[in-house]
Amino acid sequence: MNKKNIVTYSILCVALFIGGMAAHDFLQMHEEDVFKPSATLTKTGRLGDYWQGLKGTSNDSKIFYFDSGKPGATVLLLGGTHPNEPAGFITATVILENVRITKGKAIILPQACESGFTCTDPFEGNPRYFHIKTKSGNRKFRFGSRVANPLDQWPDPLVYTHYPSGSKYSGFESRNLNRSYPGRPDGSFIEQTAYAIMQLIKTGKVDVAFDLHEAAPEIPIINAIVYHEKGEMIALNAVLSLEMEELRYKPELSPKNFRGLSHREWGDNTDVIPFLMETSNPIQGRLRGKTDEELILKGISPRYKEALESGALNIEYLPSGEPLKRRVGRHLAGFKAILEAYNEEYPEKQALLENLPDYSDLMEKGVGAFLN
Amino acid sequence: MMRMSKVTLLTVFVLMLFISLLSAQKASADKTQKFEQPVLISSAGQSADVKLVGMLAKKRKLNATVTPMAKAADLKGVKTLVIVPGFSSKGLGAAGVSQKDELNRVKSLVSEAQKLNIPIVLVHIGGNARRKGNSDTFNKLVGEASKQMIVVAQGDEDKFFTNIADAKKIPIVIVPKIVKAAKPLGNLFK
Repeated sequence: MNKKNIVTYSILCVALFIGGMAAHDFLQMHEEDVFKPSATLTKTGRLGDYWQGLKGTSNDSKIFYFDSGKPGATVLLLGGTHPNEPAGFITATVILENVRITKGKAIILPQACESGFTCTDPFEGNPRYFHIKTKSGNRKFRFGSRVANPLDQWPDPLVYTHYPSGSKYSGFESRNLNRSYPGRPDGSFIEQTAYAIMQLIKTGKVDVAFDLHEAAPEIPIINAIVYHEKGEMIALNAVLSLEMEELRYKPELSPKNFRGLSHREWGDNTDVIPFLMETSNPIQGRLRGKTDEELILKGISPRYKEALESGALNIEYLPSGEPLKRRVGRHLAGFKAILEAYNEEYPEKQALLENLPDYSDLMEKGVGAFLN
Repeated sequence: MMRMSKVTLLTVFVLMLFISLLSAQKASADKTQKFEQPVLISSAGQSADVKLVGMLAKKRKLNATVTPMAKAADLKGVKTLVIVPGFSSKGLGAAGVSQKDELNRVKSLVSEAQKLNIPIVLVHIGGNARRKGNSDTFNKLVGEASKQMIVVAQGDEDKFFTNIADAKKIPIVIVPKIVKAAKPLGNLFK
């Protein structure tokens, strides 16, 4: 073997090694997160149960059912519509791991867009995982992409046209579950996912539904409850009751012309009363600085603190940071307050979900104390 | 004896002074301006806060109508105009108007109310979330045109509303929470 061949083979070996490492990392993101549901779990299912086109795909997402056996309302809770918004997904996990349902039913999809959990957003430098210390040890969770994995839907069009409204969005949004409702069975991968969720709402006779999100501190719709007009009184009563607990939420009415979103399309196309909630998550923001697991968990960004103190930006950021426990605590408090307001509005058809921690519990003990 | 009567006189004098001070205070409280009903409650910026103020008015049994997109013509028969300022992009989307359209509508509503001598009451309940940025254009416009302000404290941490109130000699009531705005709102009306 001459010198030239040795160099060639050495480069090839290094390339294979790097490729192998990358493939190993890549495949790791396809390993599913572990959930440890509460003892009152009735059954589990998959999104493919509602549309066969999803069976065996990345968005054949897990569904957890809790049935009290007593008549009442059916509640649907979605986390992980956007897998880079961990408070939504972790709140759904805390609920499914603690809930004791005494009236009605609850259906929980902690990772509505599982495909998005198998990759991260390019050029963002986001961590792929974060860890939460629990009584059973450290638990690892994936931090994914805002949209579905391009391996599941490719290529993106230059301009995405929402079906059926014809609204135009950037091509990237064609993989965004929350721009794809009501979806269609013969549509794109993500439109089929949206269609399956709509089928779940319809066939499951869901009465009230939640979609949990997060957004960058500079986004105007933050620390907010977005409601469909059907749920206006419920949302406003919830805002007032949350204020009594010193938690401020902006009530925001869902715009009729902003199409494809859960708070609009679920409400328009089914009997359900939908709500979407947002918390402030610095890792999604442009000013975040160092992007690592600490930022997900502690939510401390010196850049955002500087921006806040400068007064130059209108942002939602606490000087002490926006830790995951606070964001999950806010979602839980919002979820409970809205459900309570729903139960008051519809006393003949209530859903009673018990054993869920309060905002103060989360702030005092942290998220890990409420994961099995 | 003479000494006793001086003490008695002094006591009577102090008592009278105390009573007159109390009466003066009561008279001053009674002088708090009162507004007439029916009331039109509208938004400036289309935040859903206007609906919350509608709930507070209902709680105080006011003869009030909530019309977030009220126009000059809606002022017919109205005795007081309550405006709830606060910008919401989602609210503007829900109403199907641009920010410029909304600003023009509010300017026209305020101008017509002033022309018809209908007093304007500003009720700002959105706290920090409805301050600065796009919200302050509406907050300033309504604040400067108002005859009375009720503001939830978090929205006045930088004295934005207090400064307007001081400069324009407008009475202002600061309340700690949204629910606490109901009572002063109700007390404004005859």
